[in-house]
Amino acid sequence: MSCEDNHDKKDADRKARRSRALTIVSGVSEAGRAGAAGTSAPDAASDAAADTASAPRYWRSVAERDRTAAWEQAAHREFPPGASELNDDVSRRSFMQLVGVSTAVAGFGVACRKPNEKIVPFVRRPEEVTPGNPQHFATAHELEGFATGLVVESHEGRPTKVEGNPDHPISLGAATSYDQALVLGLYDENRARQISRNGDPIAWRTFLDDVSRRGQALAADGGAKLRFLTEPTASPMLGDLRRRIIEKFPRAKFVSYSTLGGEAGFEGARLAFGRPLQPRQHFGEAAVILSLDADFLGDGPEQLRHSRHFAARREPGTNMNRLYVVEPSMTITGGMADHRQRLRGLDVAAFTLGLIAALTDRPGFESLAPLAGLARAQSAGKTWDAKWLAAVARDLEKNRGRSLVITGRRQPAAVHALVNALNVALGNLGKTVTFGAPVLVDGTNGALALGSLAEDIAAGQVDTLVITARNPAYTAPADLKFAQLLRRVPNTIYHTLYEDETAAASHTLVPAAHVLESWGDARAVDGTASIVQPLIAPLWGGIPESEILAAFVGDGDVGAHQLVRRYWKDRLGASQDFNAAWERWLADGVIAGTAVPAEEGLAVDAPALAGALSPLLAPKPEALELAFVRDAKVFDGRFGNNAWLQELPDPMTKLTWDNSLQISQTTAQKLGLETGDLVSVDFRQRKMEAAVMIVPGHVDEAVTLPLGYGRTGEGEAVAKGVGFNANLLRASDALWFGRGVTLTKLDERYKFGLTQDHWTMSPDGRDIPPPAVETPLMQLLKEGSEFHQELEARRGPAATIHTPVDYSSQKYKWAMAIDLNRCTGCNACVTACQSENNIPTVGKANVMKGREMHWIRIDRYFSGSVEDPTVITQPLACVHCESAPCEYVCPVNATVHSDEGLNEMAYNRCIGTRYCSNNCPYKVRRFNFLEYNGDVTAARQMGMNPDVTVRSRGIMEKCSFCVQRIERKRIDSRIAGVPIADGDIQTACQQGCPSAAITFGSLHDTNSRVSKLHASPRRYDLLHELGTRPRTAYLARVRNPNPELARAE
Amino acid sequence: MAAPNLANLSNDPLEPRVLIEGKQTDATLNDSLLQHVWRGAGKGWWACFSVALALLGLLVVAVTWTLYKGIGSWGNNIPVGWAFGIINFVWWIGIGHAGTLISAILLLLQQKWRTSINRFAEAMTLFAVICALLFPLIHTGRPWFAAYWLLPYPSTNGIWPQFKSPLVWDVFAVSTYFTVSLLFWFLGLIPDLASLRDSSKSPIKRRIYGLLAMGWRGSGRHWAEYKWAYLLLAGLSTPLVLSVHTIVSFDFAVSVLPGWHTTIFPPYFVAGAVFSGFAMVATWMIPARHFLGLKHVITIRHIENMCKVMLATGMMVTYGYIMEHFIAWYSGNPYEFSQFFRVRQRGPMAPVYWLMIFCNVLVPQLFWFKRVRTNLAIVWIASIFVNVGMWCERFTIVVTSLHRDFIPSSWKMYAPTWVDISLFAGTIGLFSTLFLLFLKFVPAVAVTEVKELRHEMAHDAEPRAAGGAH
Repeated sequence: MSCEDNHDKKDADRKARRSRALTIVSGVSEAGRAGAAGTSAPDAASDAAADTASAPRYWRSVAERDRTAAWEQAAHREFPPGASELNDDVSRRSFMQLVGVSTAVAGFGVACRKPNEKIVPFVRRPEEVTPGNPQHFATAHELEGFATGLVVESHEGRPTKVEGNPDHPISLGAATSYDQALVLGLYDENRARQISRNGDPIAWRTFLDDVSRRGQALAADGGAKLRFLTEPTASPMLGDLRRRIIEKFPRAKFVSYSTLGGEAGFEGARLAFGRPLQPRQHFGEAAVILSLDADFLGDGPEQLRHSRHFAARREPGTNMNRLYVVEPSMTITGGMADHRQRLRGLDVAAFTLGLIAALTDRPGFESLAPLAGLARAQSAGKTWDAKWLAAVARDLEKNRGRSLVITGRRQPAAVHALVNALNVALGNLGKTVTFGAPVLVDGTNGALALGSLAEDIAAGQVDTLVITARNPAYTAPADLKFAQLLRRVPNTIYHTLYEDETAAASHTLVPAAHVLESWGDARAVDGTASIVQPLIAPLWGGIPESEILAAFVGDGDVGAHQLVRRYWKDRLGASQDFNAAWERWLADGVIAGTAVPAEEGLAVDAPALAGALSPLLAPKPEALELAFVRDAKVFDGRFGNNAWLQELPDPMTKLTWDNSLQISQTTAQKLGLETGDLVSVDFRQRKMEAAVMIVPGHVDEAVTLPLGYGRTGEGEAVAKGVGFNANLLRASDALWFGRGVTLTKLDERYKFGLTQDHWTMSPDGRDIPPPAVETPLMQLLKEGSEFHQELEARRGPAATIHTPVDYSSQKYKWAMAIDLNRCTGCNACVTACQSENNIPTVGKANVMKGREMHWIRIDRYFSGSVEDPTVITQPLACVHCESAPCEYVCPVNATVHSDEGLNEMAYNRCIGTRYCSNNCPYKVRRFNFLEYNGDVTAARQMGMNPDVTVRSRGIMEKCSFCVQRIERKRIDSRIAGVPIADGDIQTACQQGCPSAAITFGSLHDTNSRVSKLHASPRRYDLLHELGTRPRTAYLARVRNPNPELARAE
Repeated sequence: MAAPNLANLSNDPLEPRVLIEGKQTDATLNDSLLQHVWRGAGKGWWACFSVALALLGLLVVAVTWTLYKGIGSWGNNIPVGWAFGIINFVWWIGIGHAGTLISAILLLLQQKWRTSINRFAEAMTLFAVICALLFPLIHTGRPWFAAYWLLPYPSTNGIWPQFKSPLVWDVFAVSTYFTVSLLFWFLGLIPDLASLRDSSKSPIKRRIYGLLAMGWRGSGRHWAEYKWAYLLLAGLSTPLVLSVHTIVSFDFAVSVLPGWHTTIFPPYFVAGAVFSGFAMVATWMIPARHFLGLKHVITIRHIENMCKVMLATGMMVTYGYIMEHFIAWYSGNPYEFSQFFRVRQRGPMAPVYWLMIFCNVLVPQLFWFKRVRTNLAIVWIASIFVNVGMWCERFTIVVTSLHRDFIPSSWKMYAPTWVDISLFAGTIGLFSTLFLLFLKFVPAVAVTEVKELRHEMAHDAEPRAAGGAH
């Protein structure tokens, strides 16, 4: 199937899609029209393919961009600060050239040219496209098998921005950084492009013939030597295809594998309730939450929904929830905790049993009695704070039916089962936690599943292996030696986005279509199905997964579009109008009535559970613990080639372009290590090197290593050679935690690219008004307390000798409010802003120099002790001061104030003195030190937001309050003749925020949400004492400590 | 040359001072002061010149690289938006101040000792300002626009420079300064150029010097007009000594940044400028008077006077430091207190701060002692220390203040790159190149004025001698 075919199909169905855009007149700025305005997508794509076939297009340093020989050598880990340009950029030869050029230039001055631009207009304009007006289409992104509903903005057929679908039960209008960065991944020049067999290009038709011939041969013994290795998926269509394949090849096997496998939850439910079930938490109902190593705000398929519901109950008052977190390393969930207990991952089970032991004596917990013996035996003599545990137990007990215990993907099934038993005993079942039939096609998708496949391969039982899973050769636990085993399979068909580690071990390579290029379907955790629709024809000839599978049942040439339509037509039945339903599904982004109902009448058989658990809870040796964790930037490595995500600072460590061996200060001191030391990590006779980073709040006697780094795949220029490969130490039976790791300090130092070097709000001990304010709930509820006086002093009119500008005659007075109580620091706003505003990435070397370009940054502060700190995160973008220090120092009037109060940048006028940045007390201005957009590829240009100017070298830039969105709504409102209503304009950061921490609107509307927040008793202005009168107000964070523990502290 | 007559170096202001040594006539002065122009370039000159030229080449490479790659080739970042570029700019401008002070203010105050060194110092002003002028232009992100958008001219886009910005004031201040300094220097040169014309042997040189001498014939009328013009220009230059660095200091003082937002900056910058300017004059003059054979007109008395100026201005600078710290404490502003008492003294850039204190506060204290003031080696080394110290002062003000400001999350370290260092070394090369050319082609001492001084002193001496006979 070709590009054109797919595009035609897409055209045919275009009318069916949802268009949320109402604007008629374009308010597009002229300079940023990245990609010629009317170029149709496939043309531009092939142009792009043609003219940038060779070089890497997302780079970590300028050197990499230029691919100098010096860079090739230095690429692995040498990013010296300071003097790097000499080493990286100037070879002797280029130096001589430079000298020559200099001599010429010295005499004649430098001529700087403006880029040549070509605009190719549409010859025939598609009916539904008004150039300049974006369209929005609903689709879904499946990660770990579960879907998040998305709405994608498309400009003239080019997807430019991914947003959450407000109608989707999981997304609720927000989107994670992973979702939002899809748009960069789509246009990635490194993506695999060519179907090949043993390195030789072949046609799709040839591939189909191949599969069909091989299928006939395999069918002889019922497909006994045919295996499929897929991602975990809940796609009904793929499930159906699988059923058909098994029908045809009854002895073939499907294996789902994900390195982050979520199977413990199902297994935990099986242990507790007798059958595998999908747990679902309802944070909106929970008053007291205990998280046992569950990063529910930052990780997992429901993080967006959880964030929204959790934040909703953070409104200070009697209804405010309380969060206890037990975890080994700092997560954003731990950062939001009211009380946090550091505990090693393998001790969490004992802690859970300790909690059960503490509760079994109480009235009403009789159901836990059979576990009491086990609980007492296992939890005796442990080192956690007994007072803490007792207080938590009492708090949970007091809030029966309104409490929630949750555990995460890293904990074994036994802990999940105990948590289920606890929730049942606490009366939370059906209230704060429900269970539904699993929606995943395969319940087991972890290392066990892969292990059985590995055994089959080793035994020579596999002749043909079809891999649609993401890079198993890299993600597989080291003990399986999966990459070596793969080479022993006679025929491997690998369906992949990138020519990665697995591609190197496979025979036939089929480039995958990106999620934004494919037809398909997916289901959310609650079962709600969505149709996945393409936004653009495959740029590099990618094939959707469904077409590969369909090839095995002879439907290889049907196409994903027809496959998904056929499936849903059959499912809908002949009685209903399929076309009408289909259009509605596409427009809504969800298929109503597909959610899985909560199971009723679940009961825990505690004696059986106790029996089942005892063997699972073997005592653990006392030794240094090694823990692995999903990386906040690149997930399991699959987003490694995405420069936005690589440069997204880790929410806690603020590390970019790397992972690190996290360790507590105490343990580091004990081992004689400090941040930046390179160590050899030995675990079970396997070893790797990693650089140490001391992280406040990390548990002692343990180290944590995020997954997803140390990639070696040839096809991924951005990901290759970045960070340290944790998978080299992972074993099937120690997937997340293992004891007995040893660290040996090497005589070498490593430099990290951190966007924030300091931990506290006052690293030099100065007594300043803290930038991020927090207080306990009791303080807030006490009127006229010291805290209130403090905040009072930090808002309202500041002393000035000038007459403040009068904005009352203006129609709107734009302002923002950021509720620190809701902000978890998840980074969704940062990626949203990057995507909306065409913000370039700068690479590790430039991050190390302090030149990252994010317009909104999330400041993270630790307070208290380094061992047990509290964390507060503070998003900070331009605060649009009414009396802006940046404006009066600009010599050329390039930054000026709008009538409605925006601090605006006239990029064309900027000469780059950087005085504005020097004088900005918030340091939110960003300077294009180099031509960061210089080598944007033709493909990447298609993904640029045409409403926002792409900035060139030497120019200052910063947050504009998404002025392009304001102007678009202004046009709408002028046409409609009504004023812009509150909530009509959402800035990109606001829209991306899962916890609704950011609010934007006009202060002239006294009923607007932002006006109300500006009047909040928690409101304060950052650096109020400078008299800048910022338009962004902050709402102080309020913690809700348990009075019992607060007193103890 | 004869050794300086130390017995004559009395501090009694009523005693006549030895400003010209030995028995000199107009002719001997003419010969001795012009001889270095006519003498062929020596090996020493060529050695120095080739080093200077090599550094100048480095400058060209660094500037080209900056224009080609962008400011990203420097070490600057956010928050340290300004670094070497602005440090060097302020440093060079400061160095220029000695020339203006010597030529203008000391002329108006009728300080005779200025005569032998003013040409020298004025040339330094000119060259230092040329070096300084390079930086504001290339430190911008888009110099091709900065070159003219900062000038107020009526353009079709209807946008004017922002007159509230000190950077615009800078443009006026520095360009005025350059223009006036150039005119002043050139005007002073005219009689000497005429002398060169008259004494040159080759017709080409005669033609060139003749052209430059602008038809000077030495008539009484010429002299009268010349004197007036010179005096007027001196008057015009005098406020510039104060205004230029005042305005340069506004670049910092006008901002809100702790460490910059200080009202003491204008006088403290001017004092610092004169301080560093005299140090630079001493650094160059001590070797030059030796190698060019000018010991009879640039006497130990001149060196000593310069040391005294350095001592005075050094004390002013010290006072500036003390007041900065005092106000940071007295104002109760936690950001300022932190900047002056924590970041500067104990932060990661503290070594630069302490080097600054050593060079600018402690080293000038040596000049209290006559023994030191008359020891050329010590004076020469001390003057280099002062130059270093004043550079460190600008580094402390610019970089140390910027790298740790209000909100700790944005604090970052700063490290210069090879381009930064090359630019700095390169401007030293540019300065040296220009200076060596100046020494080669133009009289380093204002011959006319020295001759005039000789006459005046001779005239002063006669009645006293006569009175003694009575």
